[in-house]
Amino acid sequence: MQIFEYNGSALVAMVGKNCFAIASDRRLGVQLQTIATDFQRISKIHDRLFLGLSGLATDAQTLYQRLVFRHKLYQLREERDMKPETFANLVSAILYEKRFGPYFCQPVIAGLGDEDKPFICTMDSIGAKELAKDFVVAGTASESLYGACESMFKEDMEPEELFETVSQALLSSVDRDCLSGWGGHVYVVTPTEVKERILKGRMD
Amino acid sequence: MKLDTSGLESAAPVWGAPSELVDGFSAAPSFEVPNTTDFDGFQKEAIQMVKPAKGTTTLAFIFKEGAMVAADSRASMGGYISSQSVKKIIEINPYMLGTMAGGAADCQFWHRNLGIKCRLHELANKRRISVTGASKLLANILYSYRGMGLSVGTMIAGWDETGPGLYYVDSEGGRLKGMRFSVGSGSPYAYGVLDNGYRYDMSVEEAAELARRAIYHATFRDGASGGVASVYYVGPNGWKKISGDDVGELHYKYYPVLPSTVEQEMVEAAAA
Repeated sequence: MQIFEYNGSALVAMVGKNCFAIASDRRLGVQLQTIATDFQRISKIHDRLFLGLSGLATDAQTLYQRLVFRHKLYQLREERDMKPETFANLVSAILYEKRFGPYFCQPVIAGLGDEDKPFICTMDSIGAKELAKDFVVAGTASESLYGACESMFKEDMEPEELFETVSQALLSSVDRDCLSGWGGHVYVVTPTEVKERILKGRMD
Repeated sequence: MKLDTSGLESAAPVWGAPSELVDGFSAAPSFEVPNTTDFDGFQKEAIQMVKPAKGTTTLAFIFKEGAMVAADSRASMGGYISSQSVKKIIEINPYMLGTMAGGAADCQFWHRNLGIKCRLHELANKRRISVTGASKLLANILYSYRGMGLSVGTMIAGWDETGPGLYYVDSEGGRLKGMRFSVGSGSPYAYGVLDNGYRYDMSVEEAAELARRAIYHATFRDGASGGVASVYYVGPNGWKKISGDDVGELHYKYYPVLPSTVEQEMVEAAAA
């Protein structure tokens, strides 16, 4: 099987009205065998910036550790948190450093920028940024996710409706993928709060 | 070389033409073969293209009251789930079941062919064919196609004069008699549960629950198994479908979600 499909993953981020949602599946597998059903794919960089990493799990963990390190240095030097756009540039640069021996990951970055404007973007494994105004997807279930998001997305959704939309899109897409699923993890972030929810999904 | 249509021809011998049935042995089944320069290379490519990875979980076992047969219902093409509602337990005749693992087309065709041959045996010999005989018929046919890329991993379970019978037959030409079998990518997980919970003297309900549980555990761990866990019972009066439960719902029945204590309290949002 291919290297990107070794562990299996599904990630989606969606923009709403002054808020965003980022969601992932919870499976960690070794090809067809399921090893864990509580794997964390989304990590917080700071209160208004979240990073999801799909693809090979070992590269996702290492890349995440390197990015946290760089962000902490930035915080010490600049005495403030990184803006999402800046962080996306940082991730892109770090991925391109390894152009001829890449990290087998596809990051999804979601954050609230200046004036609480939501920002989402995804990248391929060598750092090509894809900015989107509505939604971004990554992982083994990405094709199903594109279809589901395209049909379910509406502009300017409130946080509750955004949560429902993202959850339905994620669950219906992973139900068509052997390598991802086994539950869902959704973060809905507004300027005042972060709501983390675990989804009850099909465990097959 | 022509398609094997011996099952469709009438038994009455045509004047002048030697009948296959009169000979005692039927002629080797044959399919048309393509005209290519490199036949072996072409065959290899064709086999690789059609070779599905036996992504499934099926199991069958014999116990005091008869035989139990169970299977999942997922069909996968690589990573994509093409269907969650495939019938993997094939009803050969009212007292014999076959399971499907491997190529769906191969299993469906050859099981139906086996059903035809069993019926012909009944008509010719005025008695039902035994499970031993039926599995041997299928095994011989599959052996003659050995190396040509058929993918069949099936179990034949039935009830005949000697009681319940269970055979494992595959496209490599193997045929094994046994009391417990599981076939497919999810079989290691099913074996774990099946071997642990098996006792010869179980009631029909206990055996059905064991089969259901084994399929459920396989669908949980194996990515290529899922959908609906079907359980069939084969008794002295033939087979009967006991249950077809969606494994998504079975999970929450076996492991209900309990309200848990809050792990992290909400914190005041940092001033923007």
